[in-house]
Amino acid sequence: MTITASRALLCLLCAAALLHAPGAFAAKRERAISRAAVAADARKDGDAEARLIDVYRQIGQGEPVKALAEAERLVNDYPQFQLGQLVYGDLLALRVRPVRMLGDLPESDQRDAAALDSLRMESAMRLKALRERPPAGSVPMQFSKLSPSSKHAIAVDASRSRLYLFENSAAGMTLIADYYISVGKSGTEKSIEGDMRTPLGVYYITGSLDPRSLKAFYGAGALPINYPNPLDMRQGKTGGGIWLHGTPAEQFSRPPLATDGCVVVANPDLQRILRTVEPRSTPVVIADRLNWVPPQAAAAATRAFEATYSAWRNAKTKGDLLGTMAFYAADFNSYGKSLADWSMVVQQDIKRNAGRAIQAKDLSMLHWHSGGVNSMVVTFGEVADGAATGPVRRQYWLQVQGLWRIIFEGTIG
Amino acid sequence: MYPGAAALPPFIRCLAAALVASSLMVGMAHADDYSDVNQLIRSGKLSDAQARADKYLAGNPRDPQMRFLKGVIQTEAGKQPDAIATFTALTQEYPELPEPYNNLAVLYANQKQYDKARTALEMAIRTNPSYATAHENMGDVYAKLASQAYARALQLDAGNTNVPPKLALIRELFSPVPATARGGKTNVAAATPAPAPAPAAPPKPAPAPPAPAPAPVAAPVPAPAPAPAPAPVSAPVPAPVPTPAAAPAPVPAPTPAPAPAPAAAASSETQDAVESAVKSWAAAWAARDMKEYLAAYGKDFKPAGKQTHAAWEAERRARIMGKSRIKVGVSDLEVKVDGAKATARFRQDYSADSLNVTSRKTLEMVKSGGTWVIVRESTG
Repeated sequence: MTITASRALLCLLCAAALLHAPGAFAAKRERAISRAAVAADARKDGDAEARLIDVYRQIGQGEPVKALAEAERLVNDYPQFQLGQLVYGDLLALRVRPVRMLGDLPESDQRDAAALDSLRMESAMRLKALRERPPAGSVPMQFSKLSPSSKHAIAVDASRSRLYLFENSAAGMTLIADYYISVGKSGTEKSIEGDMRTPLGVYYITGSLDPRSLKAFYGAGALPINYPNPLDMRQGKTGGGIWLHGTPAEQFSRPPLATDGCVVVANPDLQRILRTVEPRSTPVVIADRLNWVPPQAAAAATRAFEATYSAWRNAKTKGDLLGTMAFYAADFNSYGKSLADWSMVVQQDIKRNAGRAIQAKDLSMLHWHSGGVNSMVVTFGEVADGAATGPVRRQYWLQVQGLWRIIFEGTIG
Repeated sequence: MYPGAAALPPFIRCLAAALVASSLMVGMAHADDYSDVNQLIRSGKLSDAQARADKYLAGNPRDPQMRFLKGVIQTEAGKQPDAIATFTALTQEYPELPEPYNNLAVLYANQKQYDKARTALEMAIRTNPSYATAHENMGDVYAKLASQAYARALQLDAGNTNVPPKLALIRELFSPVPATARGGKTNVAAATPAPAPAPAAPPKPAPAPPAPAPAPVAAPVPAPAPAPAPAPVSAPVPAPVPTPAAAPAPVPAPTPAPAPAPAAAASSETQDAVESAVKSWAAAWAARDMKEYLAAYGKDFKPAGKQTHAAWEAERRARIMGKSRIKVGVSDLEVKVDGAKATARFRQDYSADSLNVTSRKTLEMVKSGGTWVIVRESTG
């Protein structure tokens, strides 16, 4: 076979698409090069994928021999990386016959067409996420305002099978890593227990489970999130136990649609996340498709809501119980407490504050707007003037007939 | 095929020829010993063969030909570690010989050490880029490695991919196996011995494709690569003329190779018939005319690998009918006729849908009921 044949493979291996996105690709390439400098550090987060992409790139450049050598090193370092094995198999096969597509198995080996399709889909998703990079400096629309007390944030884009990890400071959010992930077998928009779907919405990590206490299936560890949140419950959604977790030892990564509803990340990637994020203060946005905007645009989109939120705070500061309670929805529910019950709680707060102004310390606002649902999750320290600390509150606001109403309020710390 | 190596072959071949000439000249008187040992191996009398070889080696401990035969005996006797040691020593002392590497690969593959087998075959091919058996064995090893990788990719249990491929063991050192005798598993029928690299003017340009009338004496040189090798003119090697006497073993091929004055005698009429058979085959393929296409193959057609004829037919049908458009170009067609057999070698430009593949193709054909049909098809 000649070079011509291997060039033909290029188009078929879909790697070519990568080359048509120069900006995104160059960025990825720089990362790959800086990774090469720490080549000894196999098992580093993102390493396997960066090397897979390098193999694709070699194929794209008509270098099947180099690609084969690189693929061989990749599968030596990551023998459980099935997609890597598939590409390695293709490159070996290319030495003896034409390869027309990713995973061009001889018919005798095609015993599991579904598994093969999953791997092709995984490849396509990884490429898609790398091709369609978020614009520099942009943030997902949902992060209207993130207090520096949340040092990190996570956003999941199901349409790209991708998790984005951000660092957050007074200067704003910075994307520091992103990883391939798997979601529910039946996709997203979880609504009932056992529907094999991953929930969509704005959540927080509630804790970190010790991997030693977990089955091997969960890999390097698990970070549960607070599905169903008060908004979900109000919508009658059921189920639970939605975690961000790793993979079993025999599987480096899983197909794009594979889980019972959890978000699954390769173990080296999860380990980086585990080392980085803090439970409780780290928000997790899960969307079908993230909308990336400049941070100012994300903030601007909720300015009208912020006015309402300030009005609520002013009413409470003034000790206007009726005025304050007007912001609460008729079907308000806080862990079983009704609107009438909550009115008494608010009254006690007013009494305790004794006319001192209420400051919102470490204010965070996350926006969830999907279909007909427009909601805000607001977290802040309710500190009265002169006091050193106050309770940390979380409110879920919902827009009902054009008016923002609190459907849930609770103290989280 | 191996672009970087393409410049090497003529020189290496000269080197090998020199080596063969010198080492065999010593052993000339004992040419009978080789054929006797060979005969014993073929008739399965391995311990007799071993005794005979040992006796000979006692007097000529470094003799590569006999040591090679000893390695073959050890392989046949199932003494794999011994055979590996024998061939390894040969590769170290005679690194320019491809055969010991090839046989090492056979042994490694049998032990399922495919990476080692691959490395050994790479060496065999590096020493002789036109070494058909090594290429074919390499193809089997690559296919095996690919199959293993695919099994891991799909997490299939390796159960039925566990049978090692049967690679072709070379039974003789320096046998003038023509490049066309692919699948040398049993087929050693010598048809067109290559011309000796003529000692003519030193800075000779490429030892071009063999002249139609080959010297009757088999030079102990593997046939030149079909590829138009750009000769490394530089080395004014005073190409050692392998004296006719140095002709190695008389090739006790299973098929007694009748070879009555080949090519030159072949009438142009026969040539034309073969050429037109090749062209109709290509046309039927391009037209996706399965009936005509399959009719171009004889009932004795042996598909590559271990595929049955029926499985091959089904696969071809699926492959060909699965395309919406096929083009097959045949160029540089070179036909050699040998009685009722012929070998057609050409450049095949294949394109189907978005795929474009250019490769060297070899069709071995036989005359059957007045028409020429394909009995073996190989690429490379």
